Amino acid sequence: MTARPLVRVAIAACRDITVVYGRGPTAVYALGGVSVGFRPGESVALLGRSGSGKTTLLHVLGGLVEPTSGEVAWHGRPLSSLDRVARGALRARGIAFVFQGSNLLPHFTAFENVAFAAQLAEGEASPALAPPALLELVGLGGKLDHLPAELSGGEAQRVALARALAQQPELLLCDEPTGHLDSDTGERVLDLIDALQSEFGFTLVVATHATEVAARYGRELELEDGVLVREG
Amino acid sequence: MGTLAAAVGLLAAMLLFVGHSLGTMTGSAARSVPLDWQGPVGSYRAASRVAAAVRRQPGVAEAAATATAPFAGIEHVSAANGAIRAGAGAILAVAPGYLAHIGTFRFLRGTLRAGAVVLDQQLAATLQVQPGDAITLTPRAGARAVRLPVSGVALVSAPDRLFQPLNPLLGPASAQPPANIAILPLRTFAAKVAPVLSAIGSSLGVSAVPGALAGTQWQVQAQVARGALGGSPARALQQATQLRNRVERMLPGQVVFVDNLADSLSSAAGDALYAETLYIMLAVPGALAALGLAYLAALGTAERDRRNLALLRARGARRRDLVWLAALESLLLALVAGPLATGIALAALHLAGARNGVGSGRLLATLGISVALAAGGAAAARLAAGLIAFRTSIGEGRRSVRRNTQPLWQRLYLDLLALAVAGLVYWLTVRTGFSAVVNPDSNPTLSLSVYMFLAPALLWLGTTLLLVRLRGGAVAWLARRLSGGRPTTSSGFLLASAGRRGVAINRGLLVLGLLLAFGVNLGLFTATYDQQARIDAQLTLGADVVATAPPGAVAHAALVRRIARLRGAAAVGAVDHSYAYVGPDLQDTFGVDPATLARVTSLRDSYFLGGSAGQMLERLRTRRDGILVSKETITDYSLQLGDLLRLRVLDHRSGRFRIAAFHVVGIVQEFPAAPKDSFMVANLDYLRAVTHDEGPNVILVRASGDPDALARRIAAATGRFGTTVKNIREQTAQTVTSITTVDLRGISRIEEVFLLVLAAAAMALFVAVALADRRQELATMIALGASPRRAAGFLWSEAVLVLAAALALAALLGWLLAEVLVAMLRHVFDPPPDHLTAPWTFLAGLGGAAVAGCLAAAGLAALGIRRLPLGAILREE
Repeated sequence: MTARPLVRVAIAACRDITVVYGRGPTAVYALGGVSVGFRPGESVALLGRSGSGKTTLLHVLGGLVEPTSGEVAWHGRPLSSLDRVARGALRARGIAFVFQGSNLLPHFTAFENVAFAAQLAEGEASPALAPPALLELVGLGGKLDHLPAELSGGEAQRVALARALAQQPELLLCDEPTGHLDSDTGERVLDLIDALQSEFGFTLVVATHATEVAARYGRELELEDGVLVREG
Repeated sequence: MGTLAAAVGLLAAMLLFVGHSLGTMTGSAARSVPLDWQGPVGSYRAASRVAAAVRRQPGVAEAAATATAPFAGIEHVSAANGAIRAGAGAILAVAPGYLAHIGTFRFLRGTLRAGAVVLDQQLAATLQVQPGDAITLTPRAGARAVRLPVSGVALVSAPDRLFQPLNPLLGPASAQPPANIAILPLRTFAAKVAPVLSAIGSSLGVSAVPGALAGTQWQVQAQVARGALGGSPARALQQATQLRNRVERMLPGQVVFVDNLADSLSSAAGDALYAETLYIMLAVPGALAALGLAYLAALGTAERDRRNLALLRARGARRRDLVWLAALESLLLALVAGPLATGIALAALHLAGARNGVGSGRLLATLGISVALAAGGAAAARLAAGLIAFRTSIGEGRRSVRRNTQPLWQRLYLDLLALAVAGLVYWLTVRTGFSAVVNPDSNPTLSLSVYMFLAPALLWLGTTLLLVRLRGGAVAWLARRLSGGRPTTSSGFLLASAGRRGVAINRGLLVLGLLLAFGVNLGLFTATYDQQARIDAQLTLGADVVATAPPGAVAHAALVRRIARLRGAAAVGAVDHSYAYVGPDLQDTFGVDPATLARVTSLRDSYFLGGSAGQMLERLRTRRDGILVSKETITDYSLQLGDLLRLRVLDHRSGRFRIAAFHVVGIVQEFPAAPKDSFMVANLDYLRAVTHDEGPNVILVRASGDPDALARRIAAATGRFGTTVKNIREQTAQTVTSITTVDLRGISRIEEVFLLVLAAAAMALFVAVALADRRQELATMIALGASPRRAAGFLWSEAVLVLAAALALAALLGWLLAEVLVAMLRHVFDPPPDHLTAPWTFLAGLGGAAVAGCLAAAGLAALGIRRLPLGAILREE
């Protein structure tokens, strides 16, 4: 396989992001004034306990959740200037997610999960990024026609990684990617993510509550009750 | 909840409608009886004493001492016209206040006064008598005439019952109504007329003498309080019989009644059985399909419930706790859905034309039943999810995908077995003519009822189970074939997804397909039924427009010529409708002109046995004393073609019955305007010659345009001669009602409206359930970059698949069911239909409702997906 860096320019930045769920006395401040930027090709760990705002920040970065206030910029362009469809198109070819529970489409096979994402990306992919090749890359070349229910947790997460790669992402947002896996399998998945990042050069943001996982990445951002408390 | 309310509303509407209809039948049957009980007694004194005792019994509205008697002649002498005489007739003698509860006659002019007489309008017209004139009445030949002042003119209704021979052991037996009727005060009758006539006596155990009164029949006439009768005709019959038995038991040896009321209610009870059979056939599948729809609605949250219940169980919840939780939730839901359903049911009942209201008792009962049904339906869906959670392990319960095992019925192939038995029963039905038989005897029952239900019931069951077994396998197979291997295109992904959602698609197909199939079945059956009712109406009425005239009016006023001149009258002919006795049986007799009859009415060859309609009329034409008789008469009296048939006919000149000779020339089964049982058709000229009547009394008219308008013109032109005009349209409405007695159209209309709504709702619900079921999948698609429209495509494309499959299923299954129903209920139709009639407007509306539901579903899907809270959904495990 030929390694080809996908990311060449600076990508995402948040400025003074606040996300509030609900209203009145029951309102929950998921994020309170978070400002952070992500450079091309870097790997960042988003560290924090459950409920600290990690997932919300990832969703805001990916345009899935609109912040209550503040601005998210993608390549310097505010996401708020894009409508829902345009933000979707942006994700399809630039921002990929890997969720805690893999979130594979249950009625699609492994191949179809990857091919569907590739079709949404609508890019002229090289043969190396074709769905069978991507699944081969994550070690599932023999399970192309398996449904998610027929895969183990680790396998499902690897399909999710292959699906994310099919989007040719500049930014890969991983939300507790090993949360549902045993430690050995989780370790292998993290190794795979690292290897793929090295090979494809996308910016990687991994949300985790585990400090040992966070230690694998170049930069650590720590969130506590929706506030960025440490950056290093 | 809306779906649950609609489904329960449909059930409640049916319950209300059936109850209302049966109540209406009882009311109609009771109202149609002018005189409930007639108890023969031996004397004036006995009549007065027994009447007083009967009147005191609870449940009896009125009991009156009365008498019927013959008279030999009646004469009116005036300065202007001289002496006008009328022949023999009958006297009705009544006490003051008689008409307060008993409606055997009504005054047209004047009233009944002591010492005076009231004449029936026909007799008054014959004698040219006005109130204030005086007549002389001769009770019997040779007796001294009684002079009486005339105090009024009346119209006697149902004289065939009023003057029937009274033999309680034989029951009611309609008699030839007397040609002339005079009404006298009971005291006047007892003082001036009864002494010169012999008394018939109480007639206990004595055979009735048909056709003529032999002497004074003292009797007690009684009317049952209508408030004492309620519920269905069978229930009212039971109440009426118990009441009569109680009254007779209280007066042992004094009176035994001829029960006209029970006779009418018994007939209505038989009709009610037909109606109930039809209701079961037509209503129950619809209600079940509606409940299936409610279940589909409940499934919208079932998957989530299943996982939540498993979670609660993992945290220590006991089975009892979960059952209580489900019961409490269901009850709360039912407390809202139940009253809503009752409101829907009342609105539907109103729409179906029930205007009398349902009464507070029935309303409360319906409300209670609705709440109970709604609670039961909701609890069933909740508990189904709960049971799954309990049957499986906690870990398995929390999985998003379940493993399924094949249930016992699938391993035993009960679905295929049910379909095979349904086919066998249908084959037997068609081949052997085996069908529903209603036996409306004194205790009405449905014969062969168990077997009768097998074909449609097993067809429904077998199809439903087969669909469940297939689990959308056929749809999935088709989708996979169309997607063609590993998909890379948009349509390929849609088909691949649909191909693996066979179970969910099948669920939609099951509910929508069966709902539409029920609609097609209902529509086809109802349309066929209506079509047959129209044919029946033509047969019952006799022609497009029929005018009935008093005796002599047709000839004297030249009514045939008058009507023939009217616009829209294509052909006009006259028929003489009278009665004659074959042995003891009084039969309708039609005097026709064989040369012209076919011009004014439609005669089918199937009306006759042993020859075509043309051949039979030709036989009549060539033999003056020829007569066509029914198969029943041929059998009962061992007759053959050419045999001499001696009939007792009323000689209008003498007022007495006489023997007339006819010769049998053919067998007739049906005839325009003839009743369904025995009747005879003879030459008009010959019949007039032997009866000396005043000619035809029925005019048949073939319309060249709108029969309604022609009927109005005929009524306007001939009304002053006393004609009554009916046309085919109003007769159709009456026939539809009389075949089933309860209005089949009402329940059909309720079901059709519900079906249109439910078909649209089913489609919308299918998408809504899919949206709830697949929200995380759809949110993931959007997270991957799919547009909401693209994601919505996965929902509405399945809706289109369901719609197409459901329409195909409905067409096939609905047609099959209608065929089976019509074959089974052949006895309801007279004559049986040759083929099914398709109500294209309704069927198009039904399909249109489903398509509209599909379009609405597409919009709903797009809207729903746009509003998905992506962040929250993607956090869900």
